[in-house]
Amino acid sequence: MSATLMESGAVVERTDVRRPGLGAVLRSEWIKLTTVRSTWWTLVATFVLGAGLTILMCWGNADWLASEGADESPGSFITWGMMIAQITAVVLGALVVTTEYGTGMIRTTFAAVPARGRVLAAKSVVVVAVLFVVGTVTAFVGYFGGNYFLDREGIGMSLEGDVLRAMYGSGLYLAGIGLFTVAVGFLLRHTAGTISIVLALMLILGNMVNLVPGEFGEWLTKLMPGNAGSAIATPVSFNPNLLDAWTGFAVFGAETAVLLLLAWAMVRRRDA
Amino acid sequence: MIRAHQLTKRFADKNAVDGIDFVVEPGRVTGFLGPNGAGKSTTMRMILGLDAPTSGSVSVNGHRYAASPAPLREIGALLDAHAIHPGRSARDHLRWLAASNGIPTTRVGEVLDLVGLESVAGQRAGRFSLGMGQRLGIAAAMLGDPPVVVLDEPVNGLDPEGIRWVRTLARQLADEGRTVFISSHLMSEMALMADHLLVIGRGSILADCSMTEFMSDHAASYVRVKAPALGDAANLLTGRGLEVTRVDDELRIGGMDAPSVGELMFRHGLMVHELTLVRSSLEDAFMTLTADSVEYHASTEGAVA
Repeated sequence: MSATLMESGAVVERTDVRRPGLGAVLRSEWIKLTTVRSTWWTLVATFVLGAGLTILMCWGNADWLASEGADESPGSFITWGMMIAQITAVVLGALVVTTEYGTGMIRTTFAAVPARGRVLAAKSVVVVAVLFVVGTVTAFVGYFGGNYFLDREGIGMSLEGDVLRAMYGSGLYLAGIGLFTVAVGFLLRHTAGTISIVLALMLILGNMVNLVPGEFGEWLTKLMPGNAGSAIATPVSFNPNLLDAWTGFAVFGAETAVLLLLAWAMVRRRDA
Repeated sequence: MIRAHQLTKRFADKNAVDGIDFVVEPGRVTGFLGPNGAGKSTTMRMILGLDAPTSGSVSVNGHRYAASPAPLREIGALLDAHAIHPGRSARDHLRWLAASNGIPTTRVGEVLDLVGLESVAGQRAGRFSLGMGQRLGIAAAMLGDPPVVVLDEPVNGLDPEGIRWVRTLARQLADEGRTVFISSHLMSEMALMADHLLVIGRGSILADCSMTEFMSDHAASYVRVKAPALGDAANLLTGRGLEVTRVDDELRIGGMDAPSVGELMFRHGLMVHELTLVRSSLEDAFMTLTADSVEYHASTEGAVA
């Protein structure tokens, strides 16, 4: 395919022009992500809520957890804040996509990068990378802070096995949530709608399906994206009836992949 | 060069763009003129591959836009000056655009200079006036130094100085051999800017000709006569088979030039106070042309019902 370009003030025909690759689109999406304040606010909120609430809960419950009457495991508290921090991951995943639709900037994006699948891929990669790093760091800080109080009561946990897995598991879970929301964002193209639907699915519907009776209800609960995915972010889950950490995360990954495929098909077909 | 062939876009139950054919040639400014809702923006979105045509096709430099190996370097477009993230600075907006097409960052400073926004480049675009937004949009369009430039309503919200600047820029780009395609719903603006006109109404091309041709074809003219004995003058001219309309204290005469009208009056001893050739403005011509298309469609719809 030849390209018609301007060179030294004259119109020329060139046949050796190669289309900029995924790397260029990734750089572009990275600049977009890092040049708006909402990204920084969201990430600060992730850190403050994720690490802060974990430390607060460990401080407040260490005494009780060490006592005879405790019916929960300290392992359920060591990444407690992540349950709340997942909300900020939803917000980040939505904003990266839906603000472009809200302002109409998506047309500028698709005019600059007509291969729309690359835009979806690049947005996915930057969201996953940022949330994985921030989520993991947050979990570690929460662990060190929270474990200090648990240690004082003699119920501290060493950083190995399931506890260590829960650290990068927290990063993986936030990254997964962000990616899930990116897909929903491309499907709905609306900020408030995307955030509400994902939060309702993760936090409200995920708990309500508990009420569905019988084995069907049990499986439904296990397979809901928020329930399946979150087990990896904690050494001991509050809910004993969830899938195993990695099995659950694989289910959550598959659900996210289906949504992404759907989003990809729609983005290619739909008028921008 | 932009070439449309039987380009059609159907929304719900009506054709927003109805099988249009046109060619936008390089080296001149082509004005794309039509009332709001005529199909201008839809056509421009199809040129950029944002909307898929229902049928027909449109190509840029001989291929589909989406197939371009260097999109921003082949065609630069301003579609909507509001379509910017309000929290991102002008410079950062241009930076991500440049990065997406592998355009060197030094070009960002150059286009900011070109549009006169360098002093506010670090400010958040949400604080920009509509005019500054238009300038940023034009900067984005020029980022890849493209041979084809498409601007949708670029003078909207610009002050007179800004409008003159866009006019000069469009002229300069065309003189450099580029294809310049500018839409507007204001005929007066196009009259000053465009060499060639593409008039669209209700999704159909109503005129595709040079500005000069358009003026002679569509701008009607008449001779205005003011005289003390207006009734006698009217009788005389009507008697010669001319079209005469009386409006207040003047006569409007079609079908004869001003000197001939003057001579006729003189030979019949009628005193003349004013004798002027009046050409209706292009704005009027445009209104007449598009009003016709509206009437045409209204009557056919009525007939079907």
